[in-house]
Amino acid sequence: MIDFEPSEEQTLMVTAARQLAEKLRARTREIEQARALPTDLRETAFEMGLGGSVAVPETHGGAGLGMVTAVLLEEALASGDAAVPFALSGPGAVGSALTELATPEQAQHWMGKLADSTKTGAVAWSEAKPSRERAGFITTATKEGNDWVIRGEKAFVLNAEQADVFVVFAQVDVAEGWRGLGAFVVEKSAKGLALRERNTTLGLDAVGSASLVLEAVRVPDSARLTPAGDFDRAVLRFFAREGLKVAARCVGLSQAAFDVALDYVSNRKAFGKPIGHFQAVAFTLADRAMDVDAARGLVWRAAAGWDAWAADGKAASEKEALRDSAWAISFALEAAMKAADDAVQLHGGAGFMRDYPVEKWMRDAKQMQLCFLTSEQADQIAAALDIGAPIDPALVLPTPETQAVFT
Amino acid sequence: MTIEFSITSRQQDLKSAIHGLAKSVIRPQSLAWDRAHGIPEEFLIRFSQMAASMGGPAGAWGVQGLGAGAAESKAESSDKKKRGSAMVSTVVAAEELSWGDPAMLLCLPGPGLGGPPVRGSGTPEQKERFFSIFQNMSDGLKWGAYALTEPGAGSDVAGIRTSCKKDGDHWVLTGRKCYITNGARASWNVVFATVDPALGRAGHRAFVVEKGTPGFSIGKIEEKMGLRASETAELVLDDCRVSAANLLGGEEKYQTKEGFLTAMKTFDNTRPLVAAMAIGIGRAAYDYACDFVRDNYMMSRPIPRYAAIAERLARVGRNLAAARAVTLRASWLADGEIPNAKEASMAKALAGKSAIAACIEAIEICGAHGTIASEHQLLEKWFRDIKVYDIFEGTGQIQRIVISKRLMPELRSF
Repeated sequence: MIDFEPSEEQTLMVTAARQLAEKLRARTREIEQARALPTDLRETAFEMGLGGSVAVPETHGGAGLGMVTAVLLEEALASGDAAVPFALSGPGAVGSALTELATPEQAQHWMGKLADSTKTGAVAWSEAKPSRERAGFITTATKEGNDWVIRGEKAFVLNAEQADVFVVFAQVDVAEGWRGLGAFVVEKSAKGLALRERNTTLGLDAVGSASLVLEAVRVPDSARLTPAGDFDRAVLRFFAREGLKVAARCVGLSQAAFDVALDYVSNRKAFGKPIGHFQAVAFTLADRAMDVDAARGLVWRAAAGWDAWAADGKAASEKEALRDSAWAISFALEAAMKAADDAVQLHGGAGFMRDYPVEKWMRDAKQMQLCFLTSEQADQIAAALDIGAPIDPALVLPTPETQAVFT
Repeated sequence: MTIEFSITSRQQDLKSAIHGLAKSVIRPQSLAWDRAHGIPEEFLIRFSQMAASMGGPAGAWGVQGLGAGAAESKAESSDKKKRGSAMVSTVVAAEELSWGDPAMLLCLPGPGLGGPPVRGSGTPEQKERFFSIFQNMSDGLKWGAYALTEPGAGSDVAGIRTSCKKDGDHWVLTGRKCYITNGARASWNVVFATVDPALGRAGHRAFVVEKGTPGFSIGKIEEKMGLRASETAELVLDDCRVSAANLLGGEEKYQTKEGFLTAMKTFDNTRPLVAAMAIGIGRAAYDYACDFVRDNYMMSRPIPRYAAIAERLARVGRNLAAARAVTLRASWLADGEIPNAKEASMAKALAGKSAIAACIEAIEICGAHGTIASEHQLLEKWFRDIKVYDIFEGTGQIQRIVISKRLMPELRSF
């Protein structure tokens, strides 16, 4: 039955997350300048159970609260500071990677290692440059005896500096191109693993990103993640689930930008009345209000789709959840950019000043459009699913040949 | 309570039944009906029989009747809050029927848009008198209608000029109403008039004007761009003497500005319905374009040759889904008797815009093929049908004014 009301448990969790978000909002410039989430906030969030384990099933060592709960919490937290959900302690994106790509045993092992307020997971997908010789990643994983040896360099890895556990994607079969990928869990302590200097980015300063250099990093065969079904499809689901969380963060940012803009235009006067009382301004607000509600509706629908698939396991449900996630991602990322852009615009010159939060949100929104799946990639996935065309990973997955993304 | 987007099995049954009918009966005749430029009564009789067989409560007709039939009644709902689901069921049915042919929804027999104001503001006696005629249609189909728009007042509803003057136990109405769906064939029209234009909204009165009332006549039947199987009429009120018993809600109701609110409250329920219709048309165009692309392009090629077409299609599907989510929420609020004026306007504005874009994009993607009309090729018809969905029941601009006023409560007018 169609229902838009969160459960009592969800409401309690969201209320707590909103209280934390208010603290984040108050300290957003401090967090930005520190270029890291302060330890006290990090620990508070961890104790509240926020982070990458919310939607990981219990069979895989997670909290098993489902994607709907996860997106509600992501939105609440991001309304305070959209960078923070990316920077939390715990598995982060590794939670979704383990959910989709790992066996329950593998997932439980690594989720156990990450169940610590001082530990963080990170996913290494993108590469800085495309291969000129062949399709696929330059980073390779070669079987040597019982071990895999990984060589190459991964780029735009979120949380690279603070991460203890990485999920690294590499080419296992060079001849297979984009269909020849594998995923491996690599610990920071592994010999041959090094980080390049942290990137200086447009936004999302609280979460660092850097390149990961892998010089003959050796991992046991058990570190290779082996999903039950098709690997490519599982990778697609990983991007869709993690991308949906980014979409939820975008809804949180959009709502915050909208609220602040509404407050500003209701109080700022020009030509004898609040500027919000001029039609051009009011209609802009109305459009953004519609965007926020629509984006939230799409995100909730996709999240409910994942939970429905978890319950019924039907192929049709999986397809619908994938397609709905792609729609939600495509819409919410653009909506956040527009919301932040308009919020700056409606503030006039003040919007450009760091006295107001909107300029930060505009930078954060742009950066979020480049995390996990872009709107363009999501569109290709949604169209392929609805047309019934086979999904070519080279067409729909972020790659240096299309668009490299932060993961 | 949980966030959920799946429909109940009764709603699914209704949706499937309408979809089957749309595919096998409505679509094959849709273009012929459009060209005939008149209401297909034979089909409507058949549809009404089907609706009755699906358990719609007696007297509830039209798509709202179908929705009410598929809703969990409050009593049998296991939910302790006992919220209904009639509006959600109605929009599910409306999208599906419009996917077949939106004009058919508009010409379904029953009180139509006249239903909500009579239900919301009528006295018990009036409700009984005006709704009972729909209980029995064995002697012919019957309609109700809603007459607000005038040649000089569309979006600016407060500016209507049709006058009403009390004369003994009658009211005398003079003026013209235009663009009235089913107005010419309606057994009664809910007509809005003013005792004094200077009073603005406070001067408004709503009357149920029955067919055959002296001084009431039908003007021209409009020739329209689309929705041609639905009938749109001009109504003429020339010293039309309406019994005082037909003043909706009775005299005392108008001591406040409730007359105008009567007109506006109607929209909180009809805007999600109109939004759902627009989404149905948009989805029809989207489905057609997806089929066309599947059959005519090789999307599976390993080079992103058709990425631009894929992106356009994805945005059409995406924006329709966005409008649907907002429409469902506005309807869900209505079922919970929670105020939904802002959400209803959002649904209407988003749906109109995204469905128009869907029809335009679908035609462009299909090329010349998309402009050809034939029995199984209805894109050009939907393209003609859809435009008015950003106009009637409040234009996209009016929706933004409604939304603005809800966002900024101190905002009176622009």
